[in-house]
Amino acid sequence: MKQLLWAERKKLHHSKIVWIAAFSVIMTAIIVFAQGQFTFNGLRYVDGAGWFMTATQSLATFYVLPAIVALLGSYMICREEQEDTMKSLRLVPIDEAKLTVAKMIVAMIFSVLIYLMLFMITFVAEAVMHFRMLSVQMVFGFLYTYFVNGVGIFLAISPIIALVARMKRGYWLALVFAEIYSFAALFASMSETLKTVYPITAVFQLSGYYEATIGNKVVSLVILIVCMALAALILTGLTHSNKRYIH
Amino acid sequence: MSKYVIETKQLTKNYGEQTAVNAVNIHVEKGRIYGLLGRNGAGKTTIMKMILGLTPVTSGEVDVFGQNIKGREKRVYPRIGAIIETPGFYPNLTGTENLEIFAKLRGTAAPNAVKNALGIVGLPYRDKKLFSKYSLGMKQRLGIANAILHDPELLILDEPTNGLDPIGIAEVRGFIKALSTERGKTILISSHILSEIALLADDIGIIDHGVLLEENSMEVLEEKNSKYILLQVSDIPKTSLVLERQFGVTDYSVQDDHFLRIYNTSLDMAAVNKALVVQDVAVISSQLCNDTLEDYFKKITGGEGIA
Repeated sequence: MKQLLWAERKKLHHSKIVWIAAFSVIMTAIIVFAQGQFTFNGLRYVDGAGWFMTATQSLATFYVLPAIVALLGSYMICREEQEDTMKSLRLVPIDEAKLTVAKMIVAMIFSVLIYLMLFMITFVAEAVMHFRMLSVQMVFGFLYTYFVNGVGIFLAISPIIALVARMKRGYWLALVFAEIYSFAALFASMSETLKTVYPITAVFQLSGYYEATIGNKVVSLVILIVCMALAALILTGLTHSNKRYIH
Repeated sequence: MSKYVIETKQLTKNYGEQTAVNAVNIHVEKGRIYGLLGRNGAGKTTIMKMILGLTPVTSGEVDVFGQNIKGREKRVYPRIGAIIETPGFYPNLTGTENLEIFAKLRGTAAPNAVKNALGIVGLPYRDKKLFSKYSLGMKQRLGIANAILHDPELLILDEPTNGLDPIGIAEVRGFIKALSTERGKTILISSHILSEIALLADDIGIIDHGVLLEENSMEVLEEKNSKYILLQVSDIPKTSLVLERQFGVTDYSVQDDHFLRIYNTSLDMAAVNKALVVQDVAVISSQLCNDTLEDYFKKITGGEGIA
């Protein structure tokens, strides 16, 4: 597994998708920062301590990052067939189930890293603007929220990654599906019940972005675990169908 | 223990109603180069895929290293290097990075394995050129480098010189030959180019429409690729005596009770005929024959398709 993880990381060298992700994170931060220039009671939003770190999460999660994570995850899985490297890997030989698990782990790490990158950008911006207004507790609170968002968003979109990998119809479909899926979270967030059970908003319930009861958090956690289980189920079918193809 | 590294028994592959490979029996001996020759679509790649377990066998058996490969892939694959069809690599990585991935996944222990493999095929180590920018010839070379990276005992190379220029073909041929002669590798190579197989292979299997038409050693086939005088006479023992005693000819072969082949085509046949008549041997016919391998292959495959 260690070798597979190393290989998956190495395969992303010079990859455009990584640059697309970095660009998306930076653009998200810039857009939210620009929104923060609007004033309320004579004060710019962005001048409020923690506003930038808070507001960036929703824009990133409803519009941008789930699609990016889904794109990368499905790209990593689909590319082996599309780039015809699977036959070379089969001759190594590699365990296809382990290979898929390694890809999903790398996709989750990637999801966490882009959320942490977003956290770093917003934190540095906040520190430059009003360092004294930031408390250690607040910063670590946001760090925790971003981290959980990274893990949770991966879990929430994992069925899409698995589905697109199973469909074998091009990883760009994952971007479209994930975009629709995350945008729908905007509407889910309007209902107390829906925002607990809809996977994207369930992440916010769990991370602390939304104020939630313990009960809500447990339900949200169960929802995300169900998402992961669903993805595992779909990917198990993918591995079996590949094995049928081989033998 | 079988003397064959690869042995197929009645190997058959059907795609629906169509038979792609029909009851093929291939025998690849240890340390030899076996050339699988056939026109495009003859079934060469399908046979190689079945040998490697990459495609299901409809019926028949495949033994690699004396045992059926199915279920033993983890133990057998590290002993095999292969290129099937076009080599598949990650386009966003350099050749070196691609090989480093396969070396790591194979657990290749040799520290300079990647550098050595690239050196053998004439590709630069640590070059910054991405695989997506490689020419077809460079891709083929990288595929061969990947096949030999882990120093396998058996190489299965499906049309490895596809896309190479003439100099590249000669280079690849040179190191494939060296892998066999200097390092004792067993090699199964396919091609539709007769001259390539003729220069490389120790044994040849000719396949056409999924059927193995002939399997023989190169020496035997080369006998069919020669100029000779075909002599039809009434008495073979007397003819032999005349040829050996009066003309000093030893380079001839007796075909049956009336035919023999004389391989020294510069022999004065008028003098031979006269001497035979004096010895009371009737010369029924005498003709100069010039069979080439290409003629032979065309004859047995029934036409075109082999370059």
